Amino acid sequence: MALDPGLRRGDGDNEYSRPMVMNRALSFQVFRHNPRDPADAPRTQEYSLDETPGMTLFIALTRIREEQDPSLNFDFVCRAGVCGSCAMVINSRPGLACRTLTAGLPESIHLFPLPGFELIGDLSVNTGKWMRAMSERLRAWLHFEAEPDVDALEAPMPPELAEQVYELDRCTECGCCVAGCGTAQMRADFVGAVGMNKIARFRLDPRDVRGDADFYEVVGDDSGVFGCMSLLGCHDLCPKRLPLQTQIAYLRRSMARQGLW
Amino acid sequence: MDVLQSVTGLFLGLFMWLHMFFVATILLGHDAFWTVARFFEGYFFFGRSLPWLVSLFVAAVSAMLVVHAWLALRKFPAQWKQHAAFWRHMGRLRHGDTTLWLVQVLTGFAMFFLAPVHLYLMLTHPELIGPYESADRVWSGRMWPLYLVLLFLVELHAGVGLYRLAVKWVAFRDPRRSLRILGRLKWAFTVFFLVLGLLSLAAYIKLGIEHADRVGEPYIPAWIKTAP
Amino acid sequence: MKLIHTDALIIGGGLAGQRAAIGMRRRGLHPLILSLVPAKRSHSVAAQGGMQASLGNCAKGEGDSEDVHFEDTVRGSDWGCDQIVARMFAHMAPKAAREMAAWGVPWSRVRSGEHRVVINGQPVTLLEREAAHGLITARDFGGTRKWRTCHTSDGTGHALLYAVSDRVIAESIPVHDRKEALALIHDGRRCHGAVVRDLVSGELAAYLAGATVIATGGYGRIYGVSTNALINEGMGAALALETGVARLGNMEAVQFHPTAIVPAGILVTEGCRGDGGLLKDVDGYRFMPDYEPDKKELASRDVVSRRMAEHMRRGKGVRSPYGEHLWLDITGLGAEHIDKNLREVKDICQYFLGIDPAREYIPVRPTQHYSMGGVRTDHSGQSPWLAGLFSCGEAACWDMHGFNRLGGNSLAETLVAGMLVGESVADYCASAEAEAGCATALAREFLEREQAELAAIARGRGNEAAVALRRRMETVMTDSVGLFRNGPALAAAVDELADLLRRSRHLAMRCQRLDANPELVQAYRLPRMLKVALTVALGALQRTESRGAHFREDFPARDDRHWLNRTLASWRPGDALPTLDYEVLDVMHMELPPGFRGYGVRNIVEHPLTALRQAEVDELREARLDRHALQSQLMAFKQYLPKRYRGRNARLDEPLP
Repeated sequence: MALDPGLRRGDGDNEYSRPMVMNRALSFQVFRHNPRDPADAPRTQEYSLDETPGMTLFIALTRIREEQDPSLNFDFVCRAGVCGSCAMVINSRPGLACRTLTAGLPESIHLFPLPGFELIGDLSVNTGKWMRAMSERLRAWLHFEAEPDVDALEAPMPPELAEQVYELDRCTECGCCVAGCGTAQMRADFVGAVGMNKIARFRLDPRDVRGDADFYEVVGDDSGVFGCMSLLGCHDLCPKRLPLQTQIAYLRRSMARQGLW
Repeated sequence: MDVLQSVTGLFLGLFMWLHMFFVATILLGHDAFWTVARFFEGYFFFGRSLPWLVSLFVAAVSAMLVVHAWLALRKFPAQWKQHAAFWRHMGRLRHGDTTLWLVQVLTGFAMFFLAPVHLYLMLTHPELIGPYESADRVWSGRMWPLYLVLLFLVELHAGVGLYRLAVKWVAFRDPRRSLRILGRLKWAFTVFFLVLGLLSLAAYIKLGIEHADRVGEPYIPAWIKTAP
Repeated sequence: MKLIHTDALIIGGGLAGQRAAIGMRRRGLHPLILSLVPAKRSHSVAAQGGMQASLGNCAKGEGDSEDVHFEDTVRGSDWGCDQIVARMFAHMAPKAAREMAAWGVPWSRVRSGEHRVVINGQPVTLLEREAAHGLITARDFGGTRKWRTCHTSDGTGHALLYAVSDRVIAESIPVHDRKEALALIHDGRRCHGAVVRDLVSGELAAYLAGATVIATGGYGRIYGVSTNALINEGMGAALALETGVARLGNMEAVQFHPTAIVPAGILVTEGCRGDGGLLKDVDGYRFMPDYEPDKKELASRDVVSRRMAEHMRRGKGVRSPYGEHLWLDITGLGAEHIDKNLREVKDICQYFLGIDPAREYIPVRPTQHYSMGGVRTDHSGQSPWLAGLFSCGEAACWDMHGFNRLGGNSLAETLVAGMLVGESVADYCASAEAEAGCATALAREFLEREQAELAAIARGRGNEAAVALRRRMETVMTDSVGLFRNGPALAAAVDELADLLRRSRHLAMRCQRLDANPELVQAYRLPRMLKVALTVALGALQRTESRGAHFREDFPARDDRHWLNRTLASWRPGDALPTLDYEVLDVMHMELPPGFRGYGVRNIVEHPLTALRQAEVDELREARLDRHALQSQLMAFKQYLPKRYRGRNARLDEPLP
């Protein structure tokens, strides 16, 4: 049960590690499987690549696809760390591949699709489908009182509160928190930190007319906030470094209060 | 339910830490421990020992333990598939807090079997708590292996459990910093109580060996003996 | 044949498409959104700095109005835009910002009292009004006279896209993601939907729709280095082009953003300069004031980009293994400001450059960023040549950007156009025209055609490598159809692109799978991208003037006399090149007649009618009407707006009556 020395709290990333000029030969062990082909067994395939300065996993995988294996499936969209498409398991940790520099990784790089989501093929998983289902189930949208009069001045909001809401709004639904959560891996119906963070976000927002009784209905059970075992995988792995522990603890207290009284 | 589990856990965890202090008073001398033991029997309130008070308390702790265990069982992987999923996840992630949970499950599970032995003894023989009495039980009663195992289980489980409680219910303002500190605190406490526990156990064993030829003789403090 | 019926098919799940769908839903339609990726991953999410809306809440925004926003937009476009559209847009932008506020966007708000900012490299203290406390604040952006760019830190696109996507979910609008439209189903007069490929299973289906909306974003990926997401390959423009009927507008109008990081080409927001960041050269010297003493770093994007390139040509660039670049210096803003208002920038610098922007300079250079051109539409967002085909957002040439878009106007356009096109589509679907004819037979014909074509491509018996052809296209576009353009290079580019297009029909395929197969996707997209690239290159070759982002070294003057028009491109089936024609911009109907933008040296060939129209406008201005009355005299536009959106916008200084 050795704890990985590389996985310390608070340094969810290699802070300010300047990409170094190296000429390593990298070996990629990439998970391959086409779930639509019954004859295709899951396997890992090895690819070799010479490292270039500033190489990210986006650059590396694109080169592998262009130069070695055009059939390799993976998802990159913004390739800038903002859209959340490219989460995968990189040397056993979920993370955004596009902004992961190979310089911060050993020569042997293992890439697997995010667990807990439907596999599309190789490194590509259907996080979008999971997220939409979660949003529908939790009713994770702002419930406003009435359509606004768009001609009139907007309602004021304390600047600090707007900043706090934005802090929680920054979630990109990349799925790392679900992949990093022991509970979610055991129980398919668990809403994950992404779901709880959304509820916390709308709960904080004064424009949402719902009260704790409404929120209790969607997260006040064992598939919601009371199912969370506080393993903190979500908190430690969130690429946006959202304060998930704080939010879940706060939500748990509110929901417990709601459940008790 | 989650609240109840937390509350029982909190109580049990804090009790175990206090318990350790009480037990450790042996290190301060026979009299100190005798005083603590009698204190709980109401000796200083009523002027005489009422061991059933201890029985009552033990019963309460046992009940708490059963409730806590029952509630905790809900979180255990019910199906083999879930179990496998968690092991796979943990092995892959090598993530401290995730691994700690397995520590909780395993220690909790083991305690479920071992703790009742100790509790049953206390429930049925509450009067047998005292420097000689306890030492005899540990050594001559051959209980020390059980206590040694239990000590590790309890301290690990309580340490991790109390840490988890803080994480679960306290909304930290600067979570990354707080969690780092909290993590260190947790280990510090666990190590402290383990050392304390080991020393105490050693003290009882030593006492038990010395007292082995006089098994059954209760300890009476010198100041009571000399009193009229 | 798999057949799916829907009231309206929206191709593209970004801000414009999703906002349009919500409008249709509220009018009782059942729209369906098609998206290459999960909707919340659309490129809208990457917009950082903000959206322009003349709310006039913050101190530096006081006195702002639709009028100022309109004029900034027209000047920014170098008089290439449709001024009616720019008016509709400036009028709608505050409504869009306010709607978003109500839908949950955590806009950064005004904090009353004094606060310190950096302007022109100097610390300045501003005083915010008590009355404005808690209202939406704004930051400075290039080419604007007021601080008008509303933002949520520097994650504005993200906050907007999530708010709008959440509403789509709330209103149960289906999003079919990981699906790609391969061809529009049409009969030459009317569009009936699209043939759609499932990117996972590879299955084709015909989506039959009363109205079809192209909202697929830009075509930046025809260039080698672009700030655009990888999915912005111009497939929407290609869909319209391949009908042979619908036309594309101003495809040669391509914007280069001054500050993308080197080498990754990832954008760092204009907000960096808006908030006080400076551009510096190899010597650490701030060079922009030498070129543009007035607006300096905050000149229009086309101007700043060109000046940067000019400065590098003078040998003042910083040499690096990835070519020359300049520095963006935001160290003067302080770590606290960066942590709060430029956090995405900080993340990008940290992860992709390994630097802390609060302490170190950011390596930047001009990089392809935005497509002003797109599917040409009328004011309502409909193609004048193919009924039932609509377009909005970056994919469209609705034409509020002309030849250069102002920073912050694209996010605003996505929402505004979404709001308006949603209404137009609802109106269209209620009309008799939309009800006419069910096109099942037509759908079968199109689907079978696409099926056969895909099968042929997948067999891949040719000898060309798709990757090599694509790289060549990107290089040609970057080298010859970039920031600086000239006749010979453009002519060579057109020839080579046409050759690449021919070769792209003979690709060799290694993986012949018809389901999730990236090689197949590349193979069928490549010829489409080349067609789009050709409309850009040919448009640039023929436009023998310089206007906005289109700069011809051999024709540096803005030639209003000959080129005050909009390029239209269509592609007749079987042709090797697109066909271009031109749509005149009528000076006599302009509210703001062509003038000098105020950058560099005045170099304009005047339109013969400009002086006449200017005199008319001046005369009306003399009459001292109130601003709304004057505006409607100059250029009435409200008749083009849906009735529900014709109301005036309230401001602190202009309360509603």
